[in-house]
Amino acid sequence: MGDSSASYIHMVHHLIEECIVFNMGKEECMEALSKHANIKPVITSTVWNELEKENKEFFEAYTKKRRGEKVREMETRHEIQGVIADSSNSNTSADH
Amino acid sequence: MLAVANLPNTTTTTAATTKDESQEQTESFNNEDFPDLLESIDFGDLFAGINDGDMLPDLEMDPEILADFSVSGSGSESEMNISVSNEKVEDNPRKDEEDKVSGSGSGLDSSLSTRGEEIVSKRDESVVVNRVSKESDKGRKSTQAKNNQGKRKVKVDWTPELHRRFVQAVEQLGVDKAVPSRILELMGIDCLTRHNIASHLQKYRSHRKHLLAREAEAATWSHRRQMYGAAGGGGKRDMSPWHAPTMGFPPITPMHHHHFRPLHVWGHPPMEQPLMQMWPKHPAHSPSPPPPTWPPPPPPPAFDPSYWHHHNQQRVPNGLISGTPCFPQPLAPARFATPPVTGIPHHAMYKVDPGMAVPTRQLASSGPHPLFDFHPSKESIDAAIGDVLSKPWLPLPLGLAPPSLDSVLGELQRQGVAKVPPTSV
Repeated sequence: MGDSSASYIHMVHHLIEECIVFNMGKEECMEALSKHANIKPVITSTVWNELEKENKEFFEAYTKKRRGEKVREMETRHEIQGVIADSSNSNTSADH
Repeated sequence: MLAVANLPNTTTTTAATTKDESQEQTESFNNEDFPDLLESIDFGDLFAGINDGDMLPDLEMDPEILADFSVSGSGSESEMNISVSNEKVEDNPRKDEEDKVSGSGSGLDSSLSTRGEEIVSKRDESVVVNRVSKESDKGRKSTQAKNNQGKRKVKVDWTPELHRRFVQAVEQLGVDKAVPSRILELMGIDCLTRHNIASHLQKYRSHRKHLLAREAEAATWSHRRQMYGAAGGGGKRDMSPWHAPTMGFPPITPMHHHHFRPLHVWGHPPMEQPLMQMWPKHPAHSPSPPPPTWPPPPPPPAFDPSYWHHHNQQRVPNGLISGTPCFPQPLAPARFATPPVTGIPHHAMYKVDPGMAVPTRQLASSGPHPLFDFHPSKESIDAAIGDVLSKPWLPLPLGLAPPSLDSVLGELQRQGVAKVPPTSV
């Protein structure tokens, strides 16, 4: 029934938006929807692609943002590692 | 005594006289005692009580409803169902209370639940059971169609389209100023009653508050995060570009929820079965005055099932129906209930201090808002997903332009997915 297809697609759309709110990428979204809502990844992927076509600017900005955040995350992690290394160094030196 | 005395006589049947006597006695016993019993039961009274109660009226309705439903067929247009059932509702003067009740729920759970409540309080359980089983049969749109036996609850099927029109009307009037009668006019749909609108409006407003709170949090967090990030990383990042693309974001309210955020580790409130969620109205929980939240209620009188797919538990529309004396709600702190603070976000996914500059990997996983949370927790995602599944009429968080149905379906066919939703998962 066409009507239920429409609602289904709408639902998938909604779910994808929720995933985006969670800052997920396409693959993560496919996985989450498959796991939590039993939605075939191919469907999620298709709807995602179509959404991207309809909302190009949004997705461009989103992708860019995620990439930026990833970079930041890595940098931060790196920093933390540095901090930990430093503190352990100073600890060991203090022991001596 | 007589009986006892009779027995031996009857059994032995010795003397005719004795036998006769005993028989007479027994007969007289029969005649006198039983008739007494019979007479003592005044059947008029027995039914009188029922008449006075609400039962009859509803029972009277049933055949009509049944007729209506059979006319409308099963699974036919939801609008048709709505109109049919609504007409019925409107025609019947008694329907006032039904109307209110149905209005509250409109399609979703509340009507069913309220109705359920009402039923429980007034009828007997068989009715309730009936309803429950009926409800559980309902699929997405066939709620009305299958509602045959149910007691005439006219449920409005809040399809996304219908809801969209509703939202348009509300926004046109101004959310706070939107009056059901005006909304009804703007929507121009005959099948809806003012009550349906009123209850839906209440839910909508409550939900908006949650969303707003959530977005506000998110925005604030991401803002803060950027501040921290800038401090730590050289500050070359720009302010979140996030806002630009997301058209759906409501205006950001000041971080009034902030202060407690960081300190609380909010587990998810009870509801861990998002897929089973329903939407209970839960008045008591949010400290904020506003009406019942959308949240799914807990266990108890699981009434009405899912409007869309899953089983909806009782939707206690407490207060959903404005002014209607509602039903006792078995509310329970479910999803939305979250912590004492505010009806905040319906996902209760705020776990650890999001204010931390460092996005710790799994620890802080479920930051309040994924905006800066790279690794949202499974629970929060599950909760969000469950929310969508159980309440399809909820507005889209981002409000992105919907994909073209034809392209989607076409592409899916090319990929080998013939049916949507797929029957085999």
